[in-house]
Amino acid sequence: MFDFLAYPMANLLLLLYTLLGQSTVGAIAVLTLLINLLLLPLTLSQQKSVRRMQEIQPELEKLQKKYAKDREKLAQEQMKLYREAGINPLGGCLPVMIQLPIWFGLINAIRYCIPSTPLDVFRFSHHIYQWIPGVTGLVPLQSVFLGMDLGQPPNPAQWWSYLLPILVFITSWLQQKLLTPPTTGDDQSQAAAMNKQMQIMMPVMFMFFTLQYSTGLSIYFIISSLIRIIQYYLVPGARMGAAQAAGRS
Amino acid sequence: MSTVGKRTSRRWSKMLPLLILTALAILLTGCAAQPTSWAGMRVVEGVIYAADIQQVVAMQVQDDDSYPREIWAFPPDPKEERLGLFYVTPAVSDEYVIVASQVPASGFFSQPVNVVWALDRETGQEVWRFNGARAQYVEGGAIAGDLFVIGNSDGNVYALDLETGREVWRHKTAHRVWATPLIHDDVVYIGSMDRHLYALNLADGAVLWDFPADGAFAGTPAWEEGHLYIGAFDNRLYAIDAQTGTEEWRFEGSNWFWGGPVVHDGVVYAVDVDGNAYAVDAQEGVKIWKRSLDTTVRAGLALYVDEDSSQIFVGGQNGTLYALDAAEGFVMWSTSREGQILSPPVVAEDVVYTTVSFDAERIRAALTANGRTIWVYPLPEQE
Repeated sequence: MFDFLAYPMANLLLLLYTLLGQSTVGAIAVLTLLINLLLLPLTLSQQKSVRRMQEIQPELEKLQKKYAKDREKLAQEQMKLYREAGINPLGGCLPVMIQLPIWFGLINAIRYCIPSTPLDVFRFSHHIYQWIPGVTGLVPLQSVFLGMDLGQPPNPAQWWSYLLPILVFITSWLQQKLLTPPTTGDDQSQAAAMNKQMQIMMPVMFMFFTLQYSTGLSIYFIISSLIRIIQYYLVPGARMGAAQAAGRS
Repeated sequence: MSTVGKRTSRRWSKMLPLLILTALAILLTGCAAQPTSWAGMRVVEGVIYAADIQQVVAMQVQDDDSYPREIWAFPPDPKEERLGLFYVTPAVSDEYVIVASQVPASGFFSQPVNVVWALDRETGQEVWRFNGARAQYVEGGAIAGDLFVIGNSDGNVYALDLETGREVWRHKTAHRVWATPLIHDDVVYIGSMDRHLYALNLADGAVLWDFPADGAFAGTPAWEEGHLYIGAFDNRLYAIDAQTGTEEWRFEGSNWFWGGPVVHDGVVYAVDVDGNAYAVDAQEGVKIWKRSLDTTVRAGLALYVDEDSSQIFVGGQNGTLYALDAAEGFVMWSTSREGQILSPPVVAEDVVYTTVSFDAERIRAALTANGRTIWVYPLPEQE
């Protein structure tokens, strides 16, 4: 479905593999970094939007109490509040919607280059940019990393491969925890509850997926989360928002 | 509602998204039993042995080209006995039909099981099974002497005792092994995705030589008069001295060579994944003809030689079967149907058989003379 993105990304992965001395993990890491850099404006915009939503949360709750019986009026007042605060209500999820195809494209790109099934390889064979020097004959990439087959799901014969989904959970949880603005202690709103659930649900979901799919995908998830965490410490906007919200609490 | 009831309700409403997402994850992974490879068939002494993903069937070819008589099926009812997806081309000996399947994972934390099955050639009953390999079997194995040799995606080449299925030896390569071996004069020639073609001693798996290329080997080599011919994912077709493993010539194609070539009478026939069929001089490696077919081609080709002429058969991903004149390369006929032909066609007598993926018709039989379809399996009403 996202092959129009996956094929160019897979070719970029092949090029990086060549440039990085045929290191598969290195190529995945650099590609993930490049994609995250490309998505940085969107990520920051999403974080900003979430932060602003968090800031106006008390006022939103007041409105919900005040117009509990008049849904139409509530919607009008909420829109007015969003306008005054300069918030696009879709601002939080729109960047995610744009990023999703890119993530899926990247996941497919990894699947094509470190394939576990022959049909994936055959599908990709017609989409290799043979004009890029050195990429002909590279597929499938070297798939052994620390004794694990990156093209296969974790399995008991390589028991240590189960550490990767656990690492996916930990890094993803840490990322969620850092990037979701904290809520006040007595904040019982639905949004706060959802935030708390998402902090657990998303890492759990990622862990489940990486248990079933090739370990190469785990590498992508771990590196991606680590990049977001590093980004949190390096990009001032991200930390400031979280600090402000923490200050309020 | 009581206070306790409200609390419980709230707790459940908080847990609900988590439960739904978990259920979704389990559901998604449970739907993973889709074909990931292709089927294969062999015709021996008038009997078709086909692994058509759902099951293995043995069918007696009829002299009047009418619908074949089914001898046995393994498992008889694939919906009852879930023995997995049968991908690989069966290997047939006097007593056994040997196939492999992948049994999908049964639970969230379970793994697919990959099994080699030896079936009684007469009855289709299981004789032994081997499930010592960790990953999928993509292509079938070969039988020689007392051994059955097969490559696996876990990177190993396994040699199993033909009578018992006991592992006799294994040879580890550095990547997946997706090729059917060629066994000639007690030497196993098998390519690996680690970009090496290996010559192994049949008795103990010792490496006699290995030939490195710039791309993976996924096809079976062809042998003629001490020379091996094989294509690779580096777009090249190689001629290699079978004794020493030294390169004799290389021929550049347009894209990967996946399926194995065929050699006959001093000419090597091969097809690349872009659908370019080539006839190459076996001595010099010089192109005799090239024919571009408007389809992509995964599998190798089949050669049919009769008194008057020789034909090359190529199955396309677009479901078209092509018959080319072996001498000059022109298309004699082509016939298109639904589905994808991802396995090499098989020719016996005056009939060309194809196994089909992604269609209700799993096997088709057509006349070599004009491509007219004489039957399809299963019959439409059997589905």
